This record gives sequence, C-alpha cells and structure tokens, in this order.
Amino acid sequence: MNHNEFKKRILISLFGELSKYEQAELEEHLQSCEECRQELEQQTHLLSLVSKYKSLEIDEKLLQDARSQLRGAIRAEKQRSHLLDNLAQFFSGLVTAPYRAALSGVAVLAIGLFLGYLFFHSPQVTLINDNVRPASDINFYENDVKIKNIRFIDPVASDGEIEFTFDAVKPLHIKGNVNDSKVQRILTYAMLNEQNPGARLNSINAMDSEAPQKFDKDIKDALITVVVSDENPGVRREALKFLNKFPYDDDIKQAYIHVLTADTVTGLRIEAINALSNLTKKALDLKQSEVDLFKQKLETDKNSYIRYKTKTILQNYN
Amino acid sequence: MEVSEYELIKAAKSGNDSAFEELIYHYDKSVLAIALNFVRDRDTAKDIYQDVLIRVYRGLKNFEMRSEFSTWLFRITTNVCLTYKSRQKKREFISLDERFETEDEDFGKFEIMDSEPDPGETVDSSDMGEIIRNAVDSLSVKQRMTFVLKHYEGYKIREIAEMLNCKEGTVKKYLFDAIRNLRKKLELIYQTAY
Repeated sequence: MNHNEFKKRILISLFGELSKYEQAELEEHLQSCEECRQELEQQTHLLSLVSKYKSLEIDEKLLQDARSQLRGAIRAEKQRSHLLDNLAQFFSGLVTAPYRAALSGVAVLAIGLFLGYLFFHSPQVTLINDNVRPASDINFYENDVKIKNIRFIDPVASDGEIEFTFDAVKPLHIKGNVNDSKVQRILTYAMLNEQNPGARLNSINAMDSEAPQKFDKDIKDALITVVVSDENPGVRREALKFLNKFPYDDDIKQAYIHVLTADTVTGLRIEAINALSNLTKKALDLKQSEVDLFKQKLETDKNSYIRYKTKTILQNYN
Repeated sequence: MEVSEYELIKAAKSGNDSAFEELIYHYDKSVLAIALNFVRDRDTAKDIYQDVLIRVYRGLKNFEMRSEFSTWLFRITTNVCLTYKSRQKKREFISLDERFETEDEDFGKFEIMDSEPDPGETVDSSDMGEIIRNAVDSLSVKQRMTFVLKHYEGYKIREIAEMLNCKEGTVKKYLFDAIRNLRKKLELIYQTAY
C-alpha cells in the first residue's frame, strides 16, 4: 500500500472504522512516516476543535414541543384522509355501471361541498397575513394575543434583518343570537375544523337549539360535509338530525343516500332511511340508478328494519 | 411485556395511533437531533421533525419491511433535511444544481467574509464557536449531512450510506472533502491554536 492510501486511512481511523488489520497496518506505517504522523495530529486537532462547538443539544422541552405539534399534525392528517376516503367511497359507489346516471348530480354536490369546505376552512383568527409587515407593527403584546406557529423565512440576520410568519391568536368572548349570521359563521367554521369532537357537536347543537329564521346554504353544505366525512359518529348523527330540518332538496337526498349506503353505523343508516321514508314519492323522485342502489341495499344491509323500510320505498317503484 | 418492533409496525400499519407513537418514540429524538445539528435552528428542526414523521405516517401502509424501519426512517430524515436546504438555497437565489454539480469545487463560493478573524485580533471563544459553526454551515449539503451524521451523531459509515442511499466509498469521499474544506476555512484559527 502506498503512502497516499495510508494518508486516506487516517480519517477513517479517527472515526474508529478501520478493521484491526487495517489499523495495525496504519500504525506500522505511522512509525516510519513523519508526514502521516503530522497529518494524524492535524486531523485529530481539527476534529477536537470542531467537537468543542457542538452546542445544540436536544432538551426535553424541545422534544415534547415537537411531539405535541406532531400529534396535532397527525389529527389533521387523519381528518384530511377521512374526508378524502369518504368522498372516494361516495363516488366509487356511484361510478359503477348502474349508477353512472346519478354522477352528474353528485358532481354538483361535491363541488358545492368542496367550495363550502374551502370557504370555511380558512382560519379566521390569523392577524398577520402574507403581506410583509414591518416590526414596528407589532404592538399587540398587551392585548392577550398569543403567538403560535412561528415559521422562519429568513432566520439568518446576515443583513441585520430576519423574516418570519406567525399566527397571532386572540381570545374573543362572544354573546349573540344564534340566528346572527356572524355567530353562525363561527359555529359553522367550528363544526368543520375544531379538533375536539365535543366542540364540533356543541356547535351543531347550538345552531339546532333555535328554530332557524332562514336556511343558509353554506350551513347546509357544511352539515352535508360533516354527515359525509366527520370521523365521529355522534357528530355525524347530530348533523344529520339538524339537516332533517332543512327544506328537502337533491343535495340532501344525496347525503341521505350516502349515509344509507356507506355509513358503518346502523343507527345513522336508520335515521337516513326514516328520513327518506317520510317523503312522498313525488318529493323523493328516485332516478333509476338510485332505485338500483336501493335494490342492492335491500339485499345487502345487515339490519332487518333497514331492509324492510327499503322494501317499502321500492314498492312505489315497481 | 414489551411489544416487538415488528408487532408495533404491524399495529401502526393497521391504523393504531398508539402503536405508531410508541414505534417512533424509539427514534424521534435522533430525528430531531439530526435535524437540529443540520439546520442549527430549533424551530426549523421541529418543522423538519414534523415533516419527516408525517411522511412516515402516510407511507407506513406501503412499508414492506424489506429494510430496517430505522433505515427507512433515517433515509426520509436525511432526504427532508437535504430538500429543506435546497429550498432554502433557492430562496437565496443560489442554483442548487450548480451547488451539487460542483460538490468539490464549490468551496470558496461561500466565503465567510464577515466572520474570518483579523490575524491581529484575539479571537475569543464565542467568536471561535461562531466561526466554526459557519465553517460547518458552508460545506456543501451532502458533505455537511455526512459530517453531521458521522462526527456529531456518531453513525457508522455503513449506516450513513444506507440513509443517503449511496455507496460507503461515496460517504468516505464526502467526509474527506468535508475535512479538507473545514481545514481551509478554519486555517487561521486552526494554525493559531495548533
């Protein structure tokens, strides 16, 4: 082995990754090579110098903060994938051969749901937006504003300035009529986005507690989104009950049919079939593709009550 | 009784979040440590940590256990770190391609002009720390990742090669180049102190 190859081995030796044989060969070479001995000393010194300034250690707070944020991110991820799965399931059931005719109506519903979701999904509490503001604007420390989710765009003050975004969250205490459109807007946002199912449930119940003065389309779309996609059966049930009070239309019919055909909770399927049974034939107005769907349900649902009610509905279409 | 990693992976793959947490809590401190020593910013390290573990969460259903879970996890970690640096460099209007293609020649493009000590001045320990940190920061992304994993985190060359999906010889080359560049960067304080 030549001198240059031994020289390359020095670093690997310092990292403790030479075999015993390779290490012995290197040590033998070092005894006779002044240049390699110097190289060894210099590399040893360099690594020791660099080691002195490994100042960033993981402390418990950093780890716990990171884990806590991860839990929130996983919850959001589950909500997102639950929504997508439900919509995919909803559509896959309708795209099969007998139900293609219903697809156009469903597509309109889906677009409505999606727009409703997007509309209400934007956080209402963010004070700092994408427009860059000067630091002199920051004057809200006295007003209970909590700073969350700081993200650095330019953390290095190489030119004396740094750049970052954050959410400035301020607690608000609201008292108002449940039919007030601004109150309803907040409750609708909560029913779609609150991570705590209890808060989602309370938002729906709060809106359902008074007879609505008018039936808002955005609330209806949000309720349909909850019925179709919320992971919590209790929240879905309350949304379905509230939806029953809205004037019946094709969007609501599609939501009932979705629950009847895709929801795993028997109680919810019973709510849906009851709602559909209460409609007159004219109001129900089943298309042939939907009749086929009901026939399939008649054969496959595990619950005898649902099969009986389905059969009753289908008698009008024979 | 302690559940085996295999059982945890199986449970996590079937959607058991508690199993997922237990599984990743064996390794997540290392993920955070790699990120922190690579980016040297606590908030950014937390962002990388979250990005890595959400990717693991999403990808677990497709993980076929052909490799060690830890190898897969750390490969994602290094990828996210490297991608993060690439994005950051793009924001600084420096061509990433140029940086990768000139892996060996890029030394000198990122001189730490403001940090280099005047030979006539005494360098105190905080200055020296800053200079050393800047010198490590100025390595090309792959040299730096390899150096951080080897020198700061103590992984074996074989393990780093698995994480970076390259040959052991390539890892050694990155290490040699990193040391050569650090020596050049730190020449002044290095010679003074030596």
